[in-house]
Amino acid sequence: MERQRGIKKVELPLTALRDGESGIVTSVGEGPGRGYERGRGGWGFKKRLMDMGLTPGTRVTVIKSAPFRGPLEVSVRGSRLALGRGMAERIFVEITK
Amino acid sequence: MTEKKLTIALAGNANVGKSVIFNQLTGLHQHIGNWPGKTVEKAEGTLHFKGYTIDIIDLPGIYSLSTFSIEELVSREYIAVERPDLVINIVDASVLERNMFFTLQLMELGTPMIMALNQIDMAEKKGIRIDHEKLQKILGMPVVPTVAIKGTGVYELLERSVEIIEKGGINPPVIKYGEEVEERIREITKLIEKIPFRYPARWATIKLLEGDEQVEKEIREIGPKILLTAERLAKEIEEIHGHSCSTIITSERYEAAGRIARKVQQIVPKIRPPMSETLHTITTHKILGYPIMVLAVLAIFQSIFTFGNYTSELLSNLFYGWKPLFESLLGTGIVGKLIWGGIVEGIIASVTVALPYIAPFYFTLYLLEDSGYLSRIAFLMDTLMHKIGLHGKAFIPVMLGYGCNVPACLGCRIMETERERLLAAFVTTLIPCAARTVIILGLVGAFVGIQWALALYIIDLLVIFLLGRLAFKALPGEPTALIMEMHDYRVPHLKTVGKQTWFRLEEFIKISFPLIIVGSLLIKLMEILNLLEPIADILSPVTVTWLGLPAITGITLIFGVLRKELTLIMLATLLGTTDFALVLTPLQMIIFTLVAMLYIPCIATIAALVKEFGWKKALFITVFEIIFAIFVGGITLRLLPLFLG
Repeated sequence: MERQRGIKKVELPLTALRDGESGIVTSVGEGPGRGYERGRGGWGFKKRLMDMGLTPGTRVTVIKSAPFRGPLEVSVRGSRLALGRGMAERIFVEITK
Repeated sequence: MTEKKLTIALAGNANVGKSVIFNQLTGLHQHIGNWPGKTVEKAEGTLHFKGYTIDIIDLPGIYSLSTFSIEELVSREYIAVERPDLVINIVDASVLERNMFFTLQLMELGTPMIMALNQIDMAEKKGIRIDHEKLQKILGMPVVPTVAIKGTGVYELLERSVEIIEKGGINPPVIKYGEEVEERIREITKLIEKIPFRYPARWATIKLLEGDEQVEKEIREIGPKILLTAERLAKEIEEIHGHSCSTIITSERYEAAGRIARKVQQIVPKIRPPMSETLHTITTHKILGYPIMVLAVLAIFQSIFTFGNYTSELLSNLFYGWKPLFESLLGTGIVGKLIWGGIVEGIIASVTVALPYIAPFYFTLYLLEDSGYLSRIAFLMDTLMHKIGLHGKAFIPVMLGYGCNVPACLGCRIMETERERLLAAFVTTLIPCAARTVIILGLVGAFVGIQWALALYIIDLLVIFLLGRLAFKALPGEPTALIMEMHDYRVPHLKTVGKQTWFRLEEFIKISFPLIIVGSLLIKLMEILNLLEPIADILSPVTVTWLGLPAITGITLIFGVLRKELTLIMLATLLGTTDFALVLTPLQMIIFTLVAMLYIPCIATIAALVKEFGWKKALFITVFEIIFAIFVGGITLRLLPLFLG
């Protein structure tokens, strides 16, 4: 995993990125659903994001976001994913400035 | 000489051309069923090759072998427990890194396998060149470049498969995790090796560290101590890295996949973006994307309905042309009436709906899916679908619903959770299908005015929205968000699309034909026994008093359970005229259509609901929709005149 080298880092949810900006994934929140829906709502979806390649340390680029708080189109590990906004809000990225 | 039998499974991510390879391999000898006890499709086919009878199993397209979905569970159980002779891992060459992540998991399962490096032509267009010989060396298994839609490499794939099976498997290298993880894997693997476990020890160990529920459950039964050790070691790994153990393993596996991908692929700068890129940019554009989608969907509906109406009438005339001949053979007595009115008309009804409307609907949708446009529509519709607690993918069954609710209900399988499948199915049963469109346009559209027909559609959309929202709030659980890959646009493989259409149609026929025929027979019997009028009288408090309709409509609404457009046909028969303006007031026509539109779809849809969700939920939806339709009808009767003054 990459470590920043004394440069100021900002940690933001993926949804805060503008079109064309990219960042390095730092963490993925569990979100609601853990406990009564383990393996489905919370844990399962975090695992799903990981399985689709959004693991910590990965560079992710926001290609665009659909209007009216729509989903985000992101590019990660050479593939193109559509991520619902609720999902994208739980992904935290670090952008180096 | 008896032929030796082999089993080969196809595994890989979704949309990598797996079903095209399956078709190229097995041709006509295919059989689609369900995995035992699961609502997951199992496609099987056979072929003969070099003295072997080879059974090919097409596993569902998945991204991982965790427990995220039933598809993943089915696949890993099949590979690890049933142990096919070989797994062909089909990989999209243009997204090598992500596909390789799945390959590494297959390798961990210890199954004999080879890789089909598919769509190499598309990868090259994107500027990605892959050294497959180098990849072959790294992975320790044959890697065959293929272009499935052209059939390139498919023969070689088969040759190499048989070669590997004859040789007795492969010796893939173990993909190692970081030493601090590897050390703990070794410790647990040793423990698992001592107990009889149906999964390979190293794989089971990794799954335990990942917190895999199912493996945990199974291990708990035979070696509860191992579970404790695994939990302790997982915690140690978590302390070292500061992330959950599952995250660490997934990341390391992805790192390994990325490393391999980078070693074998060479990115050549593109001169200009390929067509598929441009098409993607336009069709998902923030502004342009929407009108394009609306136009595309309308054009599709329009052409399917035009084609459907024309063909349906043609077929119907053809069949009804046989009626005199039939009557001269069997007479017009009770038996003749029962057979014609019950069985034959039931078959005609099924055929005139299934072929003209449903077949083209399926075909077009599969075409759109295979090309990649459906996932773009799901992307664009995500926000709207979230209002009723669903995500963008649910728009696909909704679209199917406009053709027929039966395939729409079955199509809800694409949703990830049971809750969403149910919610989506409930919504699709309210979508005005082709049969309901016939009533809306044939009665209100023709006799009251097209603006009223449109108003009914809008009311229906509002109802869907409101009920969908209510159901979403009422059902326990969290709504899930969209996570979907949008693969590059590509030219669909017509043969595969045709096959998929055919299998879906077959499924539709199996569910609905018997029911429509039995139902027709029953109602015909009731008619012959003069039971219909007493029933209409019993229903009159509802039809006459509450809905303000002629008592006779009670009968037609019963017939509508078989298939909705029968309500209109029956209405004409019972009222003795097709000029409905003579016998019904405009208000009555609107009320009648409204009720027919909203109350339970039809017997075949109920059967589909039972199949997918069990009879309790199916019954609940059915009863609810009947009560709701009658309620709305009565309210409208009382409110609408006030608005019109």
